[in-house]
Amino acid sequence: MDELRTSNWRWTWPPKLPKWGLRDRTNFKIGMLFLLPWTIGFLVFTLYPMVTSFVYSFNIYHAKEPLEWVGLKNYATLLTDDLFWQSLYNTLYMVAIGVPLTLLVSFFCAVLLNLKVRGQSIYRVIYFLPSIVPTVASTILWLWILNPQTGILNTLLGYIGVEGPNWMSNPGWSKPGLILLGMWGMGGTIVIYLSGLQDVPTALLEAAELDGANWWQRLWNITVPMVSPITLFNLITGVIAQFQYFAQAYVFRGTHDLGYPLNSTLFYSVYLYQNGFLWLKMGYASAMAWVLFIIILICTILLLKVSERFTYYAG
Amino acid sequence: MTTLSQIAMPTTRQKSRSRKLRDFFQSLFSHAAINFIGLFFLIPFLWMIMTAFKSNQDVFHTPPRWLPYDNVRVEVNGEQLPLYDVKTENGVKQLAAVKIVEGVGTFVDPVNPGEEMQYEIQEGAVKIAEPVMHVSFNWKNFPDAMERGSRPGIGASFWVYFKNSLVIAFFSIVGTLLSNAPVAYAFARLKFFGRDLLFIIILATMMLPFQVTMIPIYLFFNDTLGWGDTFLPLIIPTFFANAYDVFLLRQFFRTIPEEMCDAARVDGASEWQIFTRIVLPLSTPVLATVTVFTFLWAWNDFTGPLLFLTSPRNFTMALGLQDFQSQRSMIWNQLMAASVVFTVPIIIAYFFAQKTFIQGIKLTGSKE
Repeated sequence: MDELRTSNWRWTWPPKLPKWGLRDRTNFKIGMLFLLPWTIGFLVFTLYPMVTSFVYSFNIYHAKEPLEWVGLKNYATLLTDDLFWQSLYNTLYMVAIGVPLTLLVSFFCAVLLNLKVRGQSIYRVIYFLPSIVPTVASTILWLWILNPQTGILNTLLGYIGVEGPNWMSNPGWSKPGLILLGMWGMGGTIVIYLSGLQDVPTALLEAAELDGANWWQRLWNITVPMVSPITLFNLITGVIAQFQYFAQAYVFRGTHDLGYPLNSTLFYSVYLYQNGFLWLKMGYASAMAWVLFIIILICTILLLKVSERFTYYAG
Repeated sequence: MTTLSQIAMPTTRQKSRSRKLRDFFQSLFSHAAINFIGLFFLIPFLWMIMTAFKSNQDVFHTPPRWLPYDNVRVEVNGEQLPLYDVKTENGVKQLAAVKIVEGVGTFVDPVNPGEEMQYEIQEGAVKIAEPVMHVSFNWKNFPDAMERGSRPGIGASFWVYFKNSLVIAFFSIVGTLLSNAPVAYAFARLKFFGRDLLFIIILATMMLPFQVTMIPIYLFFNDTLGWGDTFLPLIIPTFFANAYDVFLLRQFFRTIPEEMCDAARVDGASEWQIFTRIVLPLSTPVLATVTVFTFLWAWNDFTGPLLFLTSPRNFTMALGLQDFQSQRSMIWNQLMAASVVFTVPIIIAYFFAQKTFIQGIKLTGSKE
């Protein structure tokens, strides 16, 4: 981020253009040649689709039929669409419960993996390995694990006297099931936390220990603030990813319709896909996409603002 | 001096004893926790592998067992017959089943196969004949899973899906390496007007959710170019650079000493020569990271293939597995066998390039 701060380009009005000599012109040409792959990609795969989907969002558009301008009607319809609110609720549930829970547990795992334990490297591999199992494979595996009758989780719960829920068919338990699936694959987050923990100065921890701070005090007063930039990073990427949560939910319904059971896994992106590609309401889906973009922007800015008070940057 | 040490000694000894006790409990707790959470990561993984080796009946055995079991078979008159524990008039005997029709089994004694006996498998709630089981890894699940398609009779097998995934991943790697490196070099080392503004734009595109551009991109490839149901919509975009890889490569390029490039510039080398002859050869570690992560991303991708690939012969592993799974009858052992085959290339990549993996996660901050 300090890249942005040290950038020599300033927003001024009117914009101050530098005087162009022959050298500048050659440099510009060479630079643009190197950037060519990205420039074309940006125009074709980002800018043009952004503009078009923005236009679509003000139209009724069934693919292959001509656009029909309806102004803000799509956005107005969203407000009265029960499924839209349901999908937004489902997504916010995952963002508000799944993401913080996953962060907390992965931080705890990283702390454990940072301890000097015999076989530390083996534990690290075990904790990390599930995260590289392809999404579709891990989701199907968890469908099998969460199977209420023959699944291994409910069997294990049965051994300790707990009757496991109907993970996949009970609308109250499908999202916790998906959170479990997500936590199984959180190895990447653990690795990021682990690298952050290794950067916490040992001198600081030793000094605190000499002053009589116990393990918990050291963790809470030194380690947690020192890794707070990583927490912020993981939080933001986690929230953005959760708003786009799709593949797991698509596979998790098994043989049933999207959103099974009872629309409890109908997440925002799933409902958007359903509108755009199954019902071919592409204008409506585009409006949903832009609302999603704005929600993500607001959440990110909010997190950055709020975190200013809680994040500690060393140096 | 003696008095001082006499006073000091007991306290330190006491302190060290209480500390030892505390350390012991802390170590006990941390060992318990690391193992307990380790089981959460390990058990599902092992369960996938174990299920992949189970026979059809064993998959649904209640309560579930760890190891795959299968019916013991004995050779009778040149035929492999399943062995059963049968409650006969003369106590329990091990007999081989010749056939089982409508709950009535025809058995022979493997030792004395002359005479055939008939018993009902079940009388009321009492099992008369029960198969004799032993631990046996059913390797046949793997060819069975790979040679079938995601649905019966669609003329494409999981081997085809596997090959499709490999083809897409290979060309994605080529495209990503070719297109991202020069862009990253320009942002890292060239000085020209507008560079920093463009870099802000490229970073900003990371914020844009795919859902916003998804529909126009789909229509563009599918209707405008007529590339629906081909690999092209999945491969071609990788030839036009992306924010994550540009950022990753740029960060690495900036660590290469500027003096080396300047020396080459003085000697009259062009920027392209500096890039290809000096910077790229020094960047093999980061290029390896990009390669591994592009493979991971392409291999894992589900949304792209779901949007563009419609006929089964073009399915990728991810899409084929989902299609297989969405069928009415859940053949869990074959599903898990296909999942294992799907996962193995990534596990191999991980063990060959462990450092690259971990480094990449730290640099990009995520696996996708």
